[in-house]
Amino acid sequence: MTDKNINFTVNGETHTVEADATKTLLQVLRDNLDLTGSKDGCSSGDCGACVVLVDGQAENSCMILSPQIEGADVKTVEGIAGDDALHPLQKAFAETWAFQCGFCTPGMLISCYALLQSNPEPSRDDVLTAIAGNFCRCTGYQAVVNAVQQAAAEMRGAGSV
Amino acid sequence: MIVGEWTSAPGSDEIVTGSARYCPDIKLADMLTGRLLYSPHARARIRKLDVTRARKLPGVHAVMTHVDIPGENSYLYGHPDQPLLVVDEVRFQGDAVAAVAAIDEKTADAALQMIDVEYDVLPGQFDPLDSMQPDAEPVLPGEDNVLLFQTYTNGDVDAAIAAADVVVENTYRTQWAEHAFLETEGAVAFVDEAGLLTVYSSCQAPHRDRMQIARATSLPESAVRVITPYIGGAFGGKDEAHVQMHAALLAQATGQPVTLVRGRRESILTHVKRHPVIVECITAASKDGQLLAVKARVIGDAGPYSNATHEVLNKLAEFIGGPYTVQNVEVQKIGVRTNNPITGAFRGFGAPQAAFVYESQMDEIARELEIDPLEIRLRNGVETGSKMYTGVVVREGTGMKESLHKAAEMIGWNQRGKCERAPDEHLRRGFGMATILKGCGLGRGLGDHASVILEMHRDGSVILRSAAADMGQGIVTVLAQLAADGLGVELSSVRVVRADTAQSPDAGASCGSRQTMVSGNAVIEAANSIRDTLLGLAAMKTKLSKEELSLRNGRLFVNGEAHAMTVRDLAERASNWGYPLHAETLVHFDYPADVPKVTYKYSQEVFQFCTQIAQVLVDTQTGQVTVERLIAVHDVGKMINPGGVYGQIEGGVAQGIGYALTEELVVKDGITQNPSLENYIIPMALDLPEIEMAVLENPEPRGAPLGAKGVAEAPIIPTAAAIRNAILDAIDKPLHELPMNPERVLYA
Repeated sequence: MTDKNINFTVNGETHTVEADATKTLLQVLRDNLDLTGSKDGCSSGDCGACVVLVDGQAENSCMILSPQIEGADVKTVEGIAGDDALHPLQKAFAETWAFQCGFCTPGMLISCYALLQSNPEPSRDDVLTAIAGNFCRCTGYQAVVNAVQQAAAEMRGAGSV
Repeated sequence: MIVGEWTSAPGSDEIVTGSARYCPDIKLADMLTGRLLYSPHARARIRKLDVTRARKLPGVHAVMTHVDIPGENSYLYGHPDQPLLVVDEVRFQGDAVAAVAAIDEKTADAALQMIDVEYDVLPGQFDPLDSMQPDAEPVLPGEDNVLLFQTYTNGDVDAAIAAADVVVENTYRTQWAEHAFLETEGAVAFVDEAGLLTVYSSCQAPHRDRMQIARATSLPESAVRVITPYIGGAFGGKDEAHVQMHAALLAQATGQPVTLVRGRRESILTHVKRHPVIVECITAASKDGQLLAVKARVIGDAGPYSNATHEVLNKLAEFIGGPYTVQNVEVQKIGVRTNNPITGAFRGFGAPQAAFVYESQMDEIARELEIDPLEIRLRNGVETGSKMYTGVVVREGTGMKESLHKAAEMIGWNQRGKCERAPDEHLRRGFGMATILKGCGLGRGLGDHASVILEMHRDGSVILRSAAADMGQGIVTVLAQLAADGLGVELSSVRVVRADTAQSPDAGASCGSRQTMVSGNAVIEAANSIRDTLLGLAAMKTKLSKEELSLRNGRLFVNGEAHAMTVRDLAERASNWGYPLHAETLVHFDYPADVPKVTYKYSQEVFQFCTQIAQVLVDTQTGQVTVERLIAVHDVGKMINPGGVYGQIEGGVAQGIGYALTEELVVKDGITQNPSLENYIIPMALDLPEIEMAVLENPEPRGAPLGAKGVAEAPIIPTAAAIRNAILDAIDKPLHELPMNPERVLYA
């Protein structure tokens, strides 16, 4: 396989990377751009640790090959905080203990971020559906529901949704 | 008080921003990629192993086989019988044959392909019942296939069974279970500027890693440094070493940094699993439901190597009588070598298997005698002062019966008859409970101790050095909270150095629900010593007695009133005048010497208690079991970090539900059929009920920091039995095999 130039946007910055067609978006993020927040838990789309936003949709980045991201707009866990403050979801995840080891957190955060883009007041079931593909072996999922609902309330209060 | 409060973990900002570095995230200049060649066969003789071609591939820096290991070619958990790289025979699918380091993943993978290895596949031992026969071919040459055979007896079991009104006898079988920590095993090794072989390790026992790396590389331990970066879960599966020695050997051989991270399939195939066991159990009771005797024979499948088989079967047997006052107990534990996957530590060390047996037996006794399952447990449960069949006297702070009452109240146990039992023609609803105890610590006589170093600087900031590995269970937070309260400073003033053998003395492994107790006590002792120095200085300055003074939130208090002086002022004085603001402590787990006679070897004596109750819906057409409600009531002594405690409970119960219903590594003739997260089925967000939790705080009076016991293992232990008993209640069928998947439920 020969490397090809791929142009895409990550967290608002445009990048041109050299990658062959067998390389996944996850590998491009981690290896070419040193964005190691997104994790590789299975390389098979089963665990959700690598979930990123691709053109606004939460996707397993280990299941996307590099040619598919030409021209795409990608957001990762490194890109959801504001300039000088954590995103309300990040704050709420820390405050409610929505993780223990934290390895699932980057993907989990992005799935929840995508949810809040379309649903400012998610129910418990809405959250569980949004994270149905995000595997957490440490903590279970109740604290994630709590965190998302806390963040959603804060964002509604601040008028940011 | 910071203890007992909901507080964010130190480091949580790094986790939520994605900047926390786990082993796979560590990148060093000129770093090579390491890979291991694993056996595809369960048992085979290596006819030919030629690495010449692989070594010649451009970009390959090292290809190692067993002959290239300068030191000892073995893992060492308890028994050095598993080779790092096999010599002449592979003995399970996952034995490592060769190690490669190359400039990138592709080259390393290509080098693995170019290793010329030819196998003569041999017949293996795949059934422990066959393998344990005296005439069976040995799995390891010169070693008995029965690697452990011990019988423990208390009382006269056969006489008690003969005199009993009811006797229940069953054979139980459990499965291979996979930890599925989200971060697979990994290590990054390099030689630093000072010549120290340094290894970032995703592990539970950094000092034991260091010992094993030193053995393998033939270096003194003083020339090896092990650092834990962030670790993505472990659950016992990283208690034993995995690729640390291989990464170190490759770095030593190449002189360059090497990263070695297992892929998911490799991870599932190569690390220890929860032991599958066959347990034959006879339980006898009087007609009023008093347990009279338990007689059990436990056969555990060790795979070819010992790993933690002794430890696991020892705990399984220790708890086979449950949290009950029964005195006549005989238990035989037999560990058997096979060519199946290796088995070892996994949350609870055999206690989940034991609980599945004794709590199933309890419900069958209750049904025979028509006694309510809650009532029979209350009649037999231990209390403070109860002497158990092991000889252990149960200490104060015993929440066993309280947990039963609380769980029953939460689910409405006594009103369950009013619940709709058959909501549809083919749907049946049922309720089941299980109650357990599990010890904290390693066990009496097992060298259970930990050290920490605590230091306050002249500005009042604090550094805490502990080698207690934090795999996500939260020990860093707990120790920081204890240090902050002990020194009277804010949590943000305490920086904890994650486990690093060059900075911190040995704290032992993070296993057996022990670190909160043993490292927690070490922190309290160290903080007390520094606080005493600060208060002594404050007493001199204020001309008051130390007893009138206290430190809180970074400030001096006089008889409870805030004083103008701060902890920082006092620290500055201590620094200026040369008073010690530095303490290193070594604390041993507190086993009382005054116990009359503990007869069970290596017994644990501080107990986590918990009761879980499940409400299930069984589809009698499909065999599908849905857990509708799950109540979990845990006595933890004292909650130091509530966020961590509730997380441990919920996560442990989720693992327990998987263990009960879906999780099973399917192994045929030694070959694992489902080494992926797609086919090893773990319940996820939409598969789980909301876990309804309650925490009881019955402080442990002896040797526990502020009364806190461990919490980590208990949550997974009773779940399978509670669900099993709920299925029994729903469809009147007793199951004796895990997992209770649709096939087993339909054909029970």
